Amino acid sequence: MTMYMTATLKELTRKRVFLVTLILTLIFIVLFAFGVRELTGPSGLTPISSAERLLNSMVMLVLGLFFSQFLAAFFVLFTTMGTVTGEQESGLLLAVAARPIPRWKLYLAKWLGHAVWIAAYSAILFVAVVWTVRSQTGVPLLMDEVLRSFGLFLWMPLLLLSLTMLGSVYLPMLGNGICSALLYGFALFSGLIEGVASYGDSHPAVGKFVLLTGLILPTDSVYRRSLYELVGGGDWAGLAISDMGPFSIASVPSNAFLLYSVLYAAVLLLLGCRAFSRKDL
Amino acid sequence: MMMIDTEQLTKTYNGRGGCRGITLQVPQGCIFGLLGPNGAGKSTFVKMLAGLHRPDSGRAAVLGLPLGRAEARRKLGYLPELFRFQDWLTPKEVLRFHGRLGGLSSRDARSPAFRSRIREVLELVGLSEAADRRVGGFSKGMQQRLGLAAALLLEPELVILDEPASALDPVGRYEIRSLLKKLRNNGVTVFLNTHLLEDVEELCDEAAFLYGGELLAAGPLHKLIGSAQDGGGGGMGWRFRLGGWLPESLAEVRDAAGDELSSALSLVESDPNGNALLSARVADREQAGYLVSVFVRSGLTLYEAGPETNSLEDWFIRMAQSRQGGASQ
Repeated sequence: MTMYMTATLKELTRKRVFLVTLILTLIFIVLFAFGVRELTGPSGLTPISSAERLLNSMVMLVLGLFFSQFLAAFFVLFTTMGTVTGEQESGLLLAVAARPIPRWKLYLAKWLGHAVWIAAYSAILFVAVVWTVRSQTGVPLLMDEVLRSFGLFLWMPLLLLSLTMLGSVYLPMLGNGICSALLYGFALFSGLIEGVASYGDSHPAVGKFVLLTGLILPTDSVYRRSLYELVGGGDWAGLAISDMGPFSIASVPSNAFLLYSVLYAAVLLLLGCRAFSRKDL
Repeated sequence: MMMIDTEQLTKTYNGRGGCRGITLQVPQGCIFGLLGPNGAGKSTFVKMLAGLHRPDSGRAAVLGLPLGRAEARRKLGYLPELFRFQDWLTPKEVLRFHGRLGGLSSRDARSPAFRSRIREVLELVGLSEAADRRVGGFSKGMQQRLGLAAALLLEPELVILDEPASALDPVGRYEIRSLLKKLRNNGVTVFLNTHLLEDVEELCDEAAFLYGGELLAAGPLHKLIGSAQDGGGGGMGWRFRLGGWLPESLAEVRDAAGDELSSALSLVESDPNGNALLSARVADREQAGYLVSVFVRSGLTLYEAGPETNSLEDWFIRMAQSRQGGASQ
């Protein structure tokens, strides 16, 4: 397993595209820090109240994390959409799969190799966003809540990784990238719709639609739970982010749903191992 | 022990292509050539042996173990046909990675002994000077050499090479041929899937011919070629270029050669300057040598003598054409 972590790290660090990704991420973080300072700092002409400052901090926190999960998701899609069929087409997999290592182990090693670095990238984004908002605005955050949120924020891209890798066993690289991106976008979109719908009288069909998309791909649900945990659960969420239009947390996925997401990933990994073991390369 | 032993091995793609009912044995310590035109099912067969394809039916054993068994794959070196290594790694890193995949622990893969083995195989395939360069900058030939180094890295007992010299220049092909001969001398069995007939002719002890997914012939190479040339009667073709040739010389040498060989001799061409080209079907090299002595005793000048060239190519074309003819009838 460790050899794949090392190999994936070498791949990431030696490819120019990764350097570009890091530079763009750094630019995002700098711009975000600038935006936080401008929106929540003392203004020359109109001083803002503490409540207004708190609300602005929450808005920036939510927007920063929303964009970060978006970046993490695209990092997953672009680095893993060709894991099996892409490597099969390019011939990378042939010499590797002929070695005396069971296919299921190879599949899990690849998953783990990607997972470590995807989690590391997501951690950098999360820490950068949360630390920026905390240090600039002094928004009250409790350590245990931040840690719970952090864990869930890292779990979201790993769910997407499990789905994308399974897709890569069956679909060609580009087809898999498009399908996975569409599914991710679908889940994201349903979350935004729910946020908007929460303003008026909630239509029961919207709730069912969100639940269904959450079952198909639970990334957005896990992200919403992560956000909910970060802003102190019921303490702050009701006050600050229930009124943010599409970014509102209209419903919070339960612990049972989180357990479902774990089972979801386990089943996807199991199906991936099985399909890869039976695949003709 | 048979290094490869298959019985009615079949793999098709939705009932089409692939190969069907292949029963083949490859003995230990030989170089075995797998021949056939494009689409004959050679790569499908090779991929099944390497554990990359699952057979639909039939039975196969590699190194005495059922297909796909890890113990067998540990002693197997495989060079795929259309492959690539990680562009971002150096040859040393690629080989260390393959060492780990082959079952070495992290410590063993970094041990001085394994480092020395890496240097040895890179030297063997002529890549020592490029050992620390990124593979991304390699030519096709260099990639192929690296593929061969990876196949030989863990000192396999059986090496399966799918078109190992297709991207190499003549010098590279010569070097690879020498390397394969050296492997055979060290007791390694080599299974060669190639289109390069001169490689097969020079290297292979045995061969098999696939056409349309079916095995048409298999056995020692000289017997296969001989049987195709004489309609299955055995023997080998030799050619003799002679000087001092007269119109009555053919009758004279036939008389001198004796009953057994007189009918085997035939005149291919002759000119008024006394030059002639004779062909003869002989059972072995000793009979060819005897014919040389007959020519010399008959007062002829021997300029050249040797087995018929391009005979494998002739055999290959004849086999393919006979099948095409059969299929069109």
